[in-house]
Amino acid sequence: MSLKHVLTTCIYCGCGCGLYLTENDGVLTGAYPSVKHPVSKGSLCVKGWNSHEFVNHMDRLTHPLIREKGSFRKATWEEAIALIAKRFKGFMKESGSDSLAFLSSAKTTNEENFLMMKLARAVFKTNNIDHCARLCHASTVAGLAATFGSGAMTNSINEFEEADCFFITGSDTTAQHPLIGSRIINSVLNRSAKLIIADPRKIELSKYATVNLRQKNGTDVAWINGMMHVIIKEGLEDKEYIKERTEGYEQLQELVKKYTPEYVEALTTIPKEDLIKAARIYATTKKAMIVYAMGITQHTTGVDNVKSLANLAMLTGHVGFPSAGVNPLRGQNNVQGACDLGALSNVYSGYQSVTDENSRLKFEKAWNVNGLPGNVGLTVTEIISALGEGKVRGLYIMGENPMISDPDQNHVRKCLEKAEFLVVQDIFMTDTAVFADVILPGASFAEKDGTFTNTERRCERVRKAVNPPGEAKADWEILCEVARAGGYTGMSYKHPSEIMEEIRTLTPIYGGMSYERLDPYGLQWPCPTLEHPGTPYLHKDKFSKGKGTFMPRPFLEPKEPTDEEFNFILSTGRIYWHWHTRTLTERTSTLEREAPAPYVEIHPEDAAELGIRNKEKVRVISRRGQIEIQALITEKVVRKSCFIPFHYREAAANVLTINAVDPIAKIPEYKVCAVKVEKI
Amino acid sequence: MCTCNKKNEYIPYPAKIESVKKESFDTKTFRVRFTDKNLAESFQYKQGQFMEVSILGVGEAPISITSSPSRKGFLEFNIRATGKVTDAIHALKKGDALYLRGPYGNSFPLEELKGKNLYFIAGGIGLAPLRSLINMVMDNRDDFKHVKILYGAKTPADMCFADELEVWKKIPDTEVWLTVDKPCDAWGCSIGVVTELWKETDVHPENAVAIVCGPAIMIKFVTLALKKSGFAGKDIIMTLERYMKCGIGKCGHCNIAGKFVCTDGPVFSYEQVKAFPEKEHVI
Amino acid sequence: MSKMIEKKKIKGLLKEAVKQWHTYVPQKHIGGDVLIAPLPEEAKELEAALDNISLADDDLVISPKDIFFPQLETMFKFKKGEIAETVESSPKLLFGIKSCDLKGILFADEFFKRDFEDAYYLSRANERLIVVIGCINPPRPGACFCTSAKTGPFAEKGFDLQLVDNGESYFVETGSEKGEEFVAKYSGFFQDESGDAEKAVNSIKAKAEKAVELKIEFQKALDLMANDDFIPEEKYKRIGERCVYCGACVYTCPTCTCFNVFDNAKGDEGTRVRIWDACIFEGYTREASGHNPRNQKWLMACRRYEHKLKYDKAKTNMSGCVGCGRCLASCPVDIGMSKFVQEITEDKKIM
Repeated sequence: MSLKHVLTTCIYCGCGCGLYLTENDGVLTGAYPSVKHPVSKGSLCVKGWNSHEFVNHMDRLTHPLIREKGSFRKATWEEAIALIAKRFKGFMKESGSDSLAFLSSAKTTNEENFLMMKLARAVFKTNNIDHCARLCHASTVAGLAATFGSGAMTNSINEFEEADCFFITGSDTTAQHPLIGSRIINSVLNRSAKLIIADPRKIELSKYATVNLRQKNGTDVAWINGMMHVIIKEGLEDKEYIKERTEGYEQLQELVKKYTPEYVEALTTIPKEDLIKAARIYATTKKAMIVYAMGITQHTTGVDNVKSLANLAMLTGHVGFPSAGVNPLRGQNNVQGACDLGALSNVYSGYQSVTDENSRLKFEKAWNVNGLPGNVGLTVTEIISALGEGKVRGLYIMGENPMISDPDQNHVRKCLEKAEFLVVQDIFMTDTAVFADVILPGASFAEKDGTFTNTERRCERVRKAVNPPGEAKADWEILCEVARAGGYTGMSYKHPSEIMEEIRTLTPIYGGMSYERLDPYGLQWPCPTLEHPGTPYLHKDKFSKGKGTFMPRPFLEPKEPTDEEFNFILSTGRIYWHWHTRTLTERTSTLEREAPAPYVEIHPEDAAELGIRNKEKVRVISRRGQIEIQALITEKVVRKSCFIPFHYREAAANVLTINAVDPIAKIPEYKVCAVKVEKI
Repeated sequence: MCTCNKKNEYIPYPAKIESVKKESFDTKTFRVRFTDKNLAESFQYKQGQFMEVSILGVGEAPISITSSPSRKGFLEFNIRATGKVTDAIHALKKGDALYLRGPYGNSFPLEELKGKNLYFIAGGIGLAPLRSLINMVMDNRDDFKHVKILYGAKTPADMCFADELEVWKKIPDTEVWLTVDKPCDAWGCSIGVVTELWKETDVHPENAVAIVCGPAIMIKFVTLALKKSGFAGKDIIMTLERYMKCGIGKCGHCNIAGKFVCTDGPVFSYEQVKAFPEKEHVI
Repeated sequence: MSKMIEKKKIKGLLKEAVKQWHTYVPQKHIGGDVLIAPLPEEAKELEAALDNISLADDDLVISPKDIFFPQLETMFKFKKGEIAETVESSPKLLFGIKSCDLKGILFADEFFKRDFEDAYYLSRANERLIVVIGCINPPRPGACFCTSAKTGPFAEKGFDLQLVDNGESYFVETGSEKGEEFVAKYSGFFQDESGDAEKAVNSIKAKAEKAVELKIEFQKALDLMANDDFIPEEKYKRIGERCVYCGACVYTCPTCTCFNVFDNAKGDEGTRVRIWDACIFEGYTREASGHNPRNQKWLMACRRYEHKLKYDKAKTNMSGCVGCGRCLASCPVDIGMSKFVQEITEDKKIM
């Protein structure tokens, strides 16, 4: 018998908890929290506690597969890789590099994301590389970069333990970031910290709130402007901070003038007393943290929403201190890292722009290539559409499942069906993989070395506990083989630590992150040199970009408001028990048992009007499609709105959602579309 | 290998499906025989017990035995398709394999019922565990006094064991009373929940025991009616249902207060059930 | 009392023991976490592992129950209808566990033996030797309450050997014949002690008891729970509302033994597996029909406390809580048995 414990980083959310996987004779038999790890501190959420189970699942992909005459056959690695290289090079020759596209993955390691962008850019010469950050925090990256100069969480997770006011909007924190959620609960109950929640839906944290603002979906800019109106009117702004550290205040002052509490109430339904109360609490508490997630970003006004929150924080001087800042909670375990490492259509690693010639030259030199493309590439939803139009002829997807995760599923399905050549690299046969021409079996987080970067910018180690099943390989190894088959000699590494060495030389914010230094619990970027201790909170003394810039934005309506026929607002999101497209959690017995079926939340009065009983199947219809789904009658949602978790293929919420995107960040509006609900 | 002396109770034994009979719109009765001849012949169980029934690769579910111990060589299970395992069992046909372990749980106290008037009161699929006892009684008819079977279901299509209800009716000193919530055109019996039958026929406590099985809400109202009719707590017997995994008092799920439904039950008297704290929501 | 062992000889002893036993010893990982795992047999790996053993008062995140009852355990394999039993059985030496955890193991032993025997647990636990090292300082300060639960910091019985930390050496207490045989077999590592050992041991134990600062009225709690009408629902409701359903209190508890069973299969090949389950989950009691008798949060919280303090005690005369404090230490929202006990015995709001 062999039994060992391997310290690694949890595969689920952006908290990045440290956990030990128990390996016994090649099988994972447990997952335990690390006591000394700064995030987990001896705790995990239920997903972390059960994170070992899916790794053992018999459904794992174990061999490369090639589609032949409509079905898959087992293939050798040589065959599969050679076919990919041949087809991709063929497309390149016939239709140019931009007929290829690559979707990277926020579930894979930093090293793998770096290699994916290197493969796309250095080997196949296209910037058509993106990943699901586009669907979650693209608005953050754009909005906070413009205002602060850095699109990441400004504070650290442990700073939640010291904060005196939490202002949470569009984050069901206990469900999505449980170990941040628990710190908030403890702060409120043990230390009487204030809690302001702005969310149309009642969340677990609502019961602890000092003020609950339940805005109408899609009206965020209005109420945030309204708060700033109140703060300025009552003289609660931080005049010195504004003067010393920011620019553009006058325009803000001008813009928010018309957002009186009365006007805001009319737009958002938030009672003006509550708005004023929230504004006063936030403005007058020094250690105040804004916390937000997809409820802010997933709108056609996502960037505007983020900028408005940044304005609010600067107005009150609540950025650049411990336990005070703007904190976008990143969803996936490594979505921060995937962005940091350049798996985005417009930047190399460390957010160095592809349109900047100096950056291009730097990467050309390091990678020993010529002609890195200087145009901004296509984004996730654009890639899928281009695939359907035949503009993208070859698509390589690593560890993403757009069939379930992207908006307007019927559109995605049509595009995937039309794909000329689709490669999917994953650990399970996903709803997307069934459309593939070649499937490559990757390794799970337990089967490889590497690093993840959590939501507080902590780059931490992932360590191999077991071998991948069958012939499956670590994703970084596969990418290197594809690069070699593509005729590129600059992608050979013996171990991910060698990839990290390359990352360090090319990526200033990761400059000091050698593997030796990442033991035991990682470092927080920016960490430019081997001597640098890492950065717990950003914008100390001055903003990353120098002066912070106020970017006042006017309120704009969502793309698809309700009307007489489609009279319900639909919002989508996640639940505590499941993760994303459920490929992992449906194969985890405890999690699947706790939440086995999809549902639509409907307000009791709406249900009564429609004659719908609890747990009765109803039909939810949008202009793009319809699903049949069990009704859950609850006051969690307000009247004339409904909520559907997007995890379930059985009643996929994304059949209904709209493919309208933010003009800057290109993030889809998952949080607002118009639907009708029918009794069956 | 296991170094303890006793057999590993978690290992199921292969069996074959001999016949499948559609019983109601969502239930089927499966007649099953152990593949091992010796086991098939020597296997013993008591009325009211249950077995853990598996399909390898799908999972395991506890199912009450509906056949009577008086009829040997095979086992019958009346199964409703309500979950992953039972759905998969419903897809099986004659000749397919099932895996069984058991029997588990206590049983209906046969000896104590001898010489008594018996009221069998069932709702829906709740007739399945009672059928084991009913047939045991029918096969030893002289040991028992008058028998009344009061059976209710949502609709006529929800009624299980329709053929046998006809057979029981014809046995001397045996009455069968049926009722449905929603009748169809051809329905000739009563309408309403099972307690409505109190209006049609006498339910008298004298020298009588009532045996009740059905959904929790039905048990609640039937026991209330029985109490009202003068039945003592000890003379009301019921079987309880709980989510269950191991069947042998280890996995913990079926725990009610200090008891396990799988090993201390599933048969309980009203007296025992009333002793459970109210918050356990037993009835 | 007649033997002692120098601390510097422990490594040598373990090196010998590895030849006969799967030797489970607390081992330190980078960053300082300590988990109990068997020493590897291969010479080089063994040397490295021995350098990392930690016999101080470390917080083992998980109670050593997982040695006999792993979080995930294969029950049998099947292929084309043929079942192959997978039961693990090997001699195990548990070296350096704490007295509260010993109590947990003894409790689980009784449970898995009761009524139907659990072949998996009993087979794993069949041949074992337990060496307890009493705590000089509580491994989970502020959470440990063994002196109140009367389970530590030193064990009174149930161990094979118990080591009492005396600075450079341990006094050795023998609790069973097997323990005596062990000392005899490896006599070269042990030596006769000189001086008044009993007095020294008593003074070490008395000091260790004082080091456990958290004192609660545990016995009073057991008495109150015996009459459950006394506990106001409001207390359970508050806990149920605060709980975030991670399962940690159950997973880390030395006496929690609930499990779920499922099949992991592809086609006709696969395994039947059991995995730790927790009564605080809503699905734990949800029936196939969707009906759930324990469908409110507070009922789930209540269930756990009643089970530990009331029903276990009534059934076995042993409390189902061993005072290790792991439920509190691992809870993300500061719920724990000691706080519950304080709430009901001191009648104040703590959580």
